[in-house]
Amino acid sequence: MDNKINLSQLAESLAQKGGMSKTAAEQFVRNFFDLISENVIKDGLVKVKGLGTFKIVQLEDRESVNVNTGQRFTIEGHQKISFTPDAELKERINLPFAAFDTVEITPEQADELIRMDGEGMEESKEEQPKDEQPKEDNKNKVDNKVEIPAAENEAKHHPSPEVREVTQKKGVRFLLKSLLGLLYLILGLGVAVYLFWPVIGNKVLGIMERNITDKEKTEVVATDSTGNVNAPVKEVAPAVKPEVKPAEKPEQITEPAEKPVEKPAEKPSVQPAAPADRPATQRESVTQPVKLTLTAADQAKELPEFTEADTVNYVMDGDMTVHVLKSGETITVLALKYYGSKKLWPYIVKYNNITDAGKLQPGARIRIPVLRNR
Amino acid sequence: MNNKQFLSELSEKCQIGPEQASSQVDTLIEVMEQIWQEGDSVSLSGFGVLEVKKKNERVSVNPTTGKRMLVPPKLVLTYKPSSLLKDKLK
Repeated sequence: MDNKINLSQLAESLAQKGGMSKTAAEQFVRNFFDLISENVIKDGLVKVKGLGTFKIVQLEDRESVNVNTGQRFTIEGHQKISFTPDAELKERINLPFAAFDTVEITPEQADELIRMDGEGMEESKEEQPKDEQPKEDNKNKVDNKVEIPAAENEAKHHPSPEVREVTQKKGVRFLLKSLLGLLYLILGLGVAVYLFWPVIGNKVLGIMERNITDKEKTEVVATDSTGNVNAPVKEVAPAVKPEVKPAEKPEQITEPAEKPVEKPAEKPSVQPAAPADRPATQRESVTQPVKLTLTAADQAKELPEFTEADTVNYVMDGDMTVHVLKSGETITVLALKYYGSKKLWPYIVKYNNITDAGKLQPGARIRIPVLRNR
Repeated sequence: MNNKQFLSELSEKCQIGPEQASSQVDTLIEVMEQIWQEGDSVSLSGFGVLEVKKKNERVSVNPTTGKRMLVPPKLVLTYKPSSLLKDKLK
């Protein structure tokens, strides 16, 4: 698992399987790959039956934007080696996921999800930090080739469009909310410092004072503020402006640190919202463009982070109840209803041996298992 | 360079018959496939890394019809050339 197999290890396996000496095998493997790399440079194309095609492709100049500074720059055209695996090999590699097909999502499903959105809001906040764990587990499962039962596989695929839809929108809102929360927190801190400054300022000793002065000085200077640089420290009751400004700055500074986690595409549009200690109406207008700029690509990028399913933390322990499926309900809705978390839907699927959640009909009896912490 | 040319050059270089070269190539690919299926990657200095990566599921939109499709997750064999090889390119 996740090991790097090098030349000698590869040669050893080959020698065993092909019934040749290790040195011959090593020589063969070396020649094999040397020949590919030599000829792909020379000819621009090497086809190896059973493995795939190595090809040189020419990339044109293209413009890009530095995500930190927002500056445009040109990525010069260059050559790149592309590799296309052989069709059969590709299929065999993808065998664990072969059961999946591309499915269409209807606008109705999207609508339903928006309705569900409100309910799931709170829980999404809890979900966020926990996401790491289950994701890892899922991934490991797949990579390990531990056969995920077909039932789970299928179901995983089918209800997920909805989960994703909702969580993705939630993601955006959650992001904005947390940004605003952070902002208010920092503003509050700034005000608190301002209010108590006469007390603190007088008591704090010279060293500390100097530290603060320096810090604030650099911050104020860096941001080219018009406020008096030393005002906050030397004068006991300074004007509000210089006081609040330094307080705000750190917030902006922390911003980029947070950003890389998020999608870079969203950044430019969210940025304007950051310094906004402004009324809600203005914020509203900022959120709008953010949503609009979410292209399909962005969605795709964000999805994986939210398609979480917990399959490891609980064990199923008998029936809790039997649910008669109504029209419009999905397994994830049931999970949300009975467990308060959509993440737990795989247990319901597993417990009922549902092979294709997409084919469930209204009126179907779904047994809801009791979940016990492992 | 197609497969035939590749095999003939390989057999020449290793001083083995073309048939033997062909069967050894097949065995080598089988061995590598085994490695990939165990989730390991094949890493060769001067050539690069061949490994299987999981591509997450995603929603794609058909630009002409506007239909949204859920594309399932995939396991894909990827190749990342070594920097040595990359330097030889323009």
